[in-house]
Order: sequence, then C-alpha cells, then structure tokens
Amino acid sequence: MHSTAYPQAPASDQNPIAEFRAASKHYGEVVAADAISLSIMPGEFLSFLGPSGCGKTTALRMLAGFEAPTSGEMLLDGVRVNDLPPHKRPVNMVFQHYALFPHMNVADNISYGLRQQRPKPAAAFVAQKVAETLERVRLPGFDTRRIWEMSGGQQQRVALARALINQPKILLLDEPMAALDRKLRREMQIELQSLQRALGITFVLVTHDQEEALSMSDRICIMRAGRIVQIGAPRDLYDAPNSRYVADFVGKSNFFEGTLSSVSGLMGAVDLPTGPGRGRLGQDVAVGRKVSLSVRPEQIYLSPTGGAFAVQVRNRIFLGEHTEYLVNNPSLGDFLVLVSRQTEATLGAFDPGQDAFADWTPEAALILNND
Amino acid sequence: MRPKLINRLLLAPAGIWFLAMLVLPLAVVLVFSFGERGQSGGYVPAFTFAQYLNLPARWKAFENTLTLAPVGTLIVLLIAYPLAYFLALRANPKWRTLLLILVIVPFWTSILIRSYAWIFILGGRGIPALLDMLGLHNLRLINTPFAVLVGIVYGYLPLMVFPIFVSLERLDKRLLEASADLGSPPWRSFLQITLPLSLPGMATGCMLVFILLMGEFLIPAMLGGGKVFFVGNALVDLFLQSRNWAFGSAVAVALVVVMLVTVTIYMRAMTRWGNGRDDVSLM
Amino acid sequence: MSDTPDHISPQKFMAELMRYRKGSVSRRHFLGVTGLGMATTVLGSAMPGLITRPAFAAGSIGDSVVLATWPNYHDPASFEAFTAATGAAVQVNVFGSNEEMLAKLQAGGSGWDVFVPTNYTITTYVEEGIIDPLDMSKLPNYDAASFDPRFAGPGTVDGKLYAASKNWGTTGMAVNTSQTNGRVLTSWKDFWDITKAEFSGRTTVHDYQLTTIGNALKSFGYSFNSIDPAELADAEKLLIEVKPHLFAITSDYQPPMRSGDAWLAMCWTGDGKQLNKDIPEISYILGKEGGEIWSDFYAIPKSAPHLDAAYALINFLLDPAINYKEAMFHGQPVADARVDAMMSAEIMADPIIHPAAELLSNLEFGAAATLTDPNRAEVMARFKSA
Ligand SMILES: Nc1ncnc2c1ncn2[C@@H]1O[C@H](COP(=O)(O)OP(=O)(O)OP(=O)(O)O)[C@@H](O)[C@H]1O
Ligand SMILES: [Mg+2]
Repeated sequence: MHSTAYPQAPASDQNPIAEFRAASKHYGEVVAADAISLSIMPGEFLSFLGPSGCGKTTALRMLAGFEAPTSGEMLLDGVRVNDLPPHKRPVNMVFQHYALFPHMNVADNISYGLRQQRPKPAAAFVAQKVAETLERVRLPGFDTRRIWEMSGGQQQRVALARALINQPKILLLDEPMAALDRKLRREMQIELQSLQRALGITFVLVTHDQEEALSMSDRICIMRAGRIVQIGAPRDLYDAPNSRYVADFVGKSNFFEGTLSSVSGLMGAVDLPTGPGRGRLGQDVAVGRKVSLSVRPEQIYLSPTGGAFAVQVRNRIFLGEHTEYLVNNPSLGDFLVLVSRQTEATLGAFDPGQDAFADWTPEAALILNND
Repeated sequence: MRPKLINRLLLAPAGIWFLAMLVLPLAVVLVFSFGERGQSGGYVPAFTFAQYLNLPARWKAFENTLTLAPVGTLIVLLIAYPLAYFLALRANPKWRTLLLILVIVPFWTSILIRSYAWIFILGGRGIPALLDMLGLHNLRLINTPFAVLVGIVYGYLPLMVFPIFVSLERLDKRLLEASADLGSPPWRSFLQITLPLSLPGMATGCMLVFILLMGEFLIPAMLGGGKVFFVGNALVDLFLQSRNWAFGSAVAVALVVVMLVTVTIYMRAMTRWGNGRDDVSLM
Repeated sequence: MSDTPDHISPQKFMAELMRYRKGSVSRRHFLGVTGLGMATTVLGSAMPGLITRPAFAAGSIGDSVVLATWPNYHDPASFEAFTAATGAAVQVNVFGSNEEMLAKLQAGGSGWDVFVPTNYTITTYVEEGIIDPLDMSKLPNYDAASFDPRFAGPGTVDGKLYAASKNWGTTGMAVNTSQTNGRVLTSWKDFWDITKAEFSGRTTVHDYQLTTIGNALKSFGYSFNSIDPAELADAEKLLIEVKPHLFAITSDYQPPMRSGDAWLAMCWTGDGKQLNKDIPEISYILGKEGGEIWSDFYAIPKSAPHLDAAYALINFLLDPAINYKEAMFHGQPVADARVDAMMSAEIMADPIIHPAAELLSNLEFGAAATLTDPNRAEVMARFKSA
C-alpha cells in the first residue's frame, strides 16, 4: 500500500517557512541531531515526537537559535540563519517550565517581547496588546498578578501569551503541557489547537506524549537517536508505520516474529509458529529475513466460538469505552486485544481464565523488519 | 504544649548567646555613656548627658565614616559584581571551585597580615619601584586614599562576591534564553533579567560590607598612614589611649544609632523596591 | 601567650594592635602573635614543665611567679637561672600599653606578681591604691645609692619607693641623613620645619598624644607636659598645619624608614638604635629644646598572689650581673651605676644609648596628668581627623 519513502510536506505551492538541511548538532561525542532534513510549511502544526534524549529539544533549539548546527544548514523563510542570534529571529518559544520572569508581574511578562522592539512601541499600544493577548489566553484582568500567585495552568497561558505577543512566524513549544495534570492538559491541547487555527501561526511542538502529538498535529516527526525516522500525518503514521520502532511508538501494537516466506504484490506471508500469517508489506523487506507481523490490538477480534487462534484470557482492563484483554496463545505467546463496548454488548464480556478465539484480517497486519 | 517546650529548649542557646553577646555589651555601653570619666580614666557612675553633648567633637569622624562606608561599599560592589558574574556564569565549571577558593584564600590569614602585605606592595620598594624602572618616577601609593581603597576592596571583596555569586548561580539560565527569544540582545537581557534577579545578593553583600565598613579602623590606620580618622579610630583612641570610657561609650552608642537608622532606611527602600517580590524579600 | 598563630580572638587582636600602635612592641612580635608564624619572639619561659626543677627547691617562695612585662624586654636565660635557683617558674604575660595594664589591674584578678609600669603611671597606681611601697628588706640587690636618681626617681612617691628602676630611654627623631643635603637637624623646630618643606610627605609622628603633642609643644619652647590651653592651641595649629605634609601618623615607623618611604620619624631609643645599627645613615637625634625621657620600673601589685616570689624575682633581676645580661639583651640604658661599670667603653660612648649630658638635661618625664588630660586627647583627635 505505502512505499517506504515517507511523505514530505503536504502538497502545496507555498515555500517552506523553515528548513533543516542535513542539520547536525554534536556535543563532543554525543550526536544530539544527526543530519536532520525537514521542511516546515507555513501555518502547519508540526510535532517532534520521540523518547527521552532523542534530540527533540535540540532540533527546537536550533530553530530558536540557541544552538548553531555543527554542520548542515538552518533556513528561515529561505534565508540561511545558522549564525543568527535568537533575539533576531522571528520565532518565539514556550519553555518547558515556562521560564516566566519572577520579578515581573503578568502584564510585564507578557509585554516583554513588545518592549524589546526598537523603536519602542507606545505605552498605550503595549497596554492594549497586553489586554488583547490576556483575553486571547482567557486571563483577562490578571495583569498585575505576580507570577507565583498563578496556578500551573495559568502560568502556562501567561507563557503562551508572552510568546504570542510578538506575532512570531513560528511558535515553538517544548513540552508545554508536561507539568499539567491530565484533564488540564486535554483542555490546553484543545485551546492550543483552536488558537493555532485562529492565528494561522506555524506551531512546532516537542512532546514525548504520543497521544498529544496524534491529537494535535498536522504532521509528526518521529525521532530516534538524533534522526528523523518518519514524518507524516498522524493517521498515516498510525496506519502505515514504516518501521517496527514507529509502530511501537505510535499507538500500541502486537508483534509476532517469524521469517518472511513469500511476497506477492503488496502482500506477504510470514512463517508463524502457528502457520503462515499474511499481511501488508510495511517497508522494504526481503524473503527469508526475520520480520515481525504487527497487529494493532483493536484490529484483533475476540470470539467465544471461533477464529484462527485459540487463546486463553489472562487479564482484563476496563478502559471505559474499550476493554483491553491480555490473551495467551501457546505458540504466539501473550498479546493484547481491544474490544469495544458495542462488541462486548453483543458478544458478552470475557472473564480471565476463559477460553476464546482470536483472529484478524491480513489487511490489518503489517510486515515490518525486526530492528 | 510539648513541641512548644522543645522549641524553647532548642532556642535557648541562641537566646542566651544573643543576650550575652549582643544585649549585655550594648546595655553596658549605654549605661557608661551617661557616666563620667574618672580622674585617671575609666568610668565613674553618674547620670549626665555631657558625653552626648560633646559628640560634635567627633563630628569629623562621623562625617568621614559616613562618606567612606557608602563610597567604599559602592566601589566594592562595582568590582565584586563583574567578578561574581564571571565566576557564576562565564568561568569553566571545572575551575569554578578553584577560583572561588582563590577569592577567599586571603580570608585565611588575619587582616593584619594582608595589610602588611599591601604596605610592602604599595610601599616604596613595591609597585612604585617597578614603575620607577619603567620611567614613572616618584609615584606615591602607600598612605594615600588609593591605598585605603585597595585595602578595603581587597579585604571586603569576598563578602560581596559570595552573596552575588550565589544569586547569579541560582539564576535560571532559561530566563536569559527566554529574554533573548523575545528579542532582547544580551546586554539588555543583563539589565532587565540578570541584574534585577541578582539584587538580593547585592543587597546582602552591600549590607554586610556597609555595616563592617562603618566600624572599620584598621585599614585606614595601616594603609592610610593613620591620617584618616574614622569613628572606629576615635573609639580605639578613646577606649585605649585617653581611657575616656564614658565619652567612648557615647560615641559607640551614636555609631550604633547611625547604623540602625541607615540600615532601617536601606531595608525599607529594599522592601519598597521589591514590593513583596519573594526573590528580594530577604532584605 | 600560647595562642596558636593562625587563630586570634578579637580581644587578643585588639591587644596586639594596641601594642603595635604604641610602638612598644617589635614588629616581629606583632606579626608572630597575629598570625604569621615565622616570627619567633621571646615570650619568656612560659613553659614551666620544660624547666628542670631543682630537687632542693627553696620551696618557701612557691613554685611559680607571674610577670607582666613588655615584649623583648628580658633575656629568657635570666628566668631559667631564676627557676634553677629558686624552684619558681616564671610565667610571662606580655602587654602592649600602660593603659591596658592599668585597666587589667583596676579590674582586679590579674594574677600578676610583678609588672613593669612606665614612669608616668606610677603616681596613678599609688593613688588608686593598686601598689604598695616596696619592702626594701626583701630587695638586698637594690642599692639606692648606685641608681641615678634622675631615672630611678619616678619610682619614689611621697618619699616612699614604690617601684624599682628597670631601664630608661628617650624619645627623639630618626633622620635619614642621606636625604638632608648636609643639613643637620638639631631641634624639634627643625623637625617640623623640614617636614613642611623639603621633607614634605616623608615624616612620621607617633600615634600617641603624649609624644606627638609634647614634641610640638617643645618646638615653641613650651613644656613637654603642658596642659595650658593657649600652649596646646599653638601645638594644635602647628600639628594641623603639618598634617598634610606627614607620611603617616603611626607608631610603627621602622618599616617606612627602612624602605626609604619615610626619611624622618619621631622615634624611641630602641627603634633608633635598631635603625642606626642596620642603616648607618639613619641617625637618632634628640631635640635641643628637650623632649621626653622615660623610665620603666618593676612594681608589685597589692593583689600579687605570690608575694615572696615577686620580691625574689625583682631582687634576682636587679643583681648587677643579671641586670647587665638583661641590658645586653634588650639594648636599653639602665640606671644602675654598677651595671654601667660592666659595660664596654664603646657602649657607654654610644650617643643613642647614652646621650650627651646637656641634651639629657633638657628632657622631661611625661606626667600622669599629661597622659590623662582630656584636652590633649581632644587636640589629638582633632589633629588626626583634620
Ligand atoms: N548542552 C549539551 N551538552 C551535551 N549534551 C547534550 C546537551 N544538550 C543535549 N545533549 C544531549 O543530546 C541528546 C539529545 O538531547 P535533547 O535535549 O535534544 O533530547 P530530548 O529529545 O529533548 O529529550 P527529553 O525528552 O528528555 O527532553 C541527549 O543525549 C542529551 O544528553
Ligand atoms: Mg527536551
């Protein structure tokens, strides 16, 4: 279905607003960014997603100008900016712990960016912009509050307002919601998204929370050890991961290992302990290689009466609209199955210890290299 | 009940110390200041304001002290700040501890030894001799106001460097990045972020140096050739030469009062400036 | 004086400072006790445990005696000999100023058996009832006839001997003759005049009102001890006029004299002798108008815990043979003719140690009233703060 080449920017006649061209960042022996190439398009919401230490912050800091690439190029609006200091770049950042100025009140924090402009904008203009921006982040009337008198969520919005007031071409967000509780995080995610749509500003978000990346982004950059391993729309990444790493990182997946025995067209067959298992080819694979058959838990059917694999229910976790079962097949081992509320309503729930049958369609299985 | 008792017990040593080391001597000095000088010196009990009425006789000493203390504090601040800044934000962390130790090393010897070292360095066989070889003749350094300044800066530098260093060291470096990110060039970030946030350190350092400078007598005596007369020198002479304890006590009380007033004004100003900011509330 | 050199309490430091400021202490001693361990001064054999006690100790005077004295003022061998002879170990307390000593004795509980006051304090001690007349029967070595009454005189108050003469000295000026272009200074007037002219910025005066004001008074021909307001006003005017020309107001004038920063210093005998010995072009001169002569004494406080030992120690130190060794050690002139007789002709002829009679005759002893006069203290304060 999909080739191994990952998609570049969405088809557009616009020029990229920012570009990484084989940009690398070395800290002594450590390669924090390894020849990153990426075009960021105006108005898009792009996320860097990856585990801790994979180089997400480094990439963002190269964009902001806090780090100059060791090799390669950084471009903003088509202009090379490798050595342009941060205060001259039309980008603004929301820092991970907000980095609000403790000796200034809310209004002074927010107006800071405006007040750095030369010639200095008029005081009335600044005041008006501050009021507008406070309105925008839903903190009207908080001008004279002290920073430490604000809750975490409010501080987060002050940080957002402060970064937005200069109307940057790109807003950089480094794990802005990491410190918020789950519910607040959801709210902020929605707010951010609508804000981005309203303002039309390009957002670049760093996160290691895949749900956050999936729910908010137009495109996601999956990073691994300083490299970009896949770029794509959330649904593409979910449905067509180009590696076992991405399949594992984006959403949950079961991996059944075996040897690729045959290929025909876009489909292939893997020798599983239980017999041949068919699936779509997810990336360049060669017959005879050890591969994995990747199947999402929600793609697996569970039935009390029939299916390809006889399993025993080991564990059941109630997730609200879904129930997650851990089942065991003597040959395939343990794997996860997600059953929706409706399905359960018709088939009934499974109890731990109960025998059942599991099955999936070949289209739901993806053949990926073992890496 | 119980925790209160324990608290009191825990506080007792500090309280006794405070009483013995601060309140008692002050009380004694206060009592003496209303007394009279004995025939052969010392103190004779009496109740008179004569000593206080005589205070204008030491007006010059107060004037000198009230000039030296703020000016000296300011100069020490101006020299200590860049040093602390370098140590906290610029120096290679590998060397930082060593450099910090170098700043305090002079404190390991008595101030007297340090002053003697400066007497030699600034004296005719020291720097002036070197400059003489370079063609700058007859330069006099020792026993000049400059020498006093050198001594003060040298002696008080660590007291100023350390609090400032601590406040700069604690400064969240991301605030500077945020400032740069919002369009501020480095020098303006320094003025708008670094400087105000290191204010508590500066305030502490200035307070320490100022209070100690108010009582200073050794450095002017040794490096200034005894030609400059501070309240400290007046006290030394009154207590240990002319043995006029009563008048000496009155001068001491006046010094304490002047100190209290200045420090109170200073603290008020700091508090008002800080306006409840938690990062400057220590003053 | 067993403090380790690297720690010094503020009180101690003050004491050392005052010692140093009076100039009555050698710099080496000062540095030693204030932290620079390299200076080793003789602080007396303050380690009784190290002294082997004779088994036949006289016993009657006890096993210790406490002496309060000035630094570098005794040959430690004298104390060892005393201990060997009597079994009493000598514990030495070094002090820095007469004022400090007076304060300690006034406060009581000093524990001193013998101390060494300077002439002008003796009447005060008598008036304050701190010392008693000496029991001459216990001092057979004190031969009143052989003591020059001029130097030993202040020990006698109201006809009674309260203090036995130890040694004496003068206050003059040390001048670096290589800087005077052949001009010879002979008077205090010369001292102040040259300071205002060629020697501007090269002169030091004592940080001590007695001598600084006294020698200013002398240049007008007034008494060294004057407390007359008009005369003091003249002295004050002179001092304030001279002040901008001074190198320093300090009692620690040896270092600048040695380094060449200062060329002229108000100076005590001992410093004059030391400077002259090391740098021959520095000569020690007495002003021809006069000036100060001073004399130190042995006295016994009423509160002495070991009275017999106190007498025994003074008597021992006044033994001409011991006193001669002491004089050789401290380098100051003594008043005892029996000791002078043992001295070489060279020492007797040294004009620093034994000034010419006509110069000596003009000198005055500082008076108690001079030292404690409040007006003089105020003149000094105004001079220093000018
Ligand atoms: N200043 C630096 N000096 C040395 N190494 C650094 C520096 N900054 C980052 N690194 C290293 O570079 C790598 C990438 O770091 P980076 O901060 O970009 O990771 P990240 O993806 O943001 O991780 P996290 O999710 O934990 O924030 C890490 O191995 C890190 O240790
Ligand atoms: Mg990061």
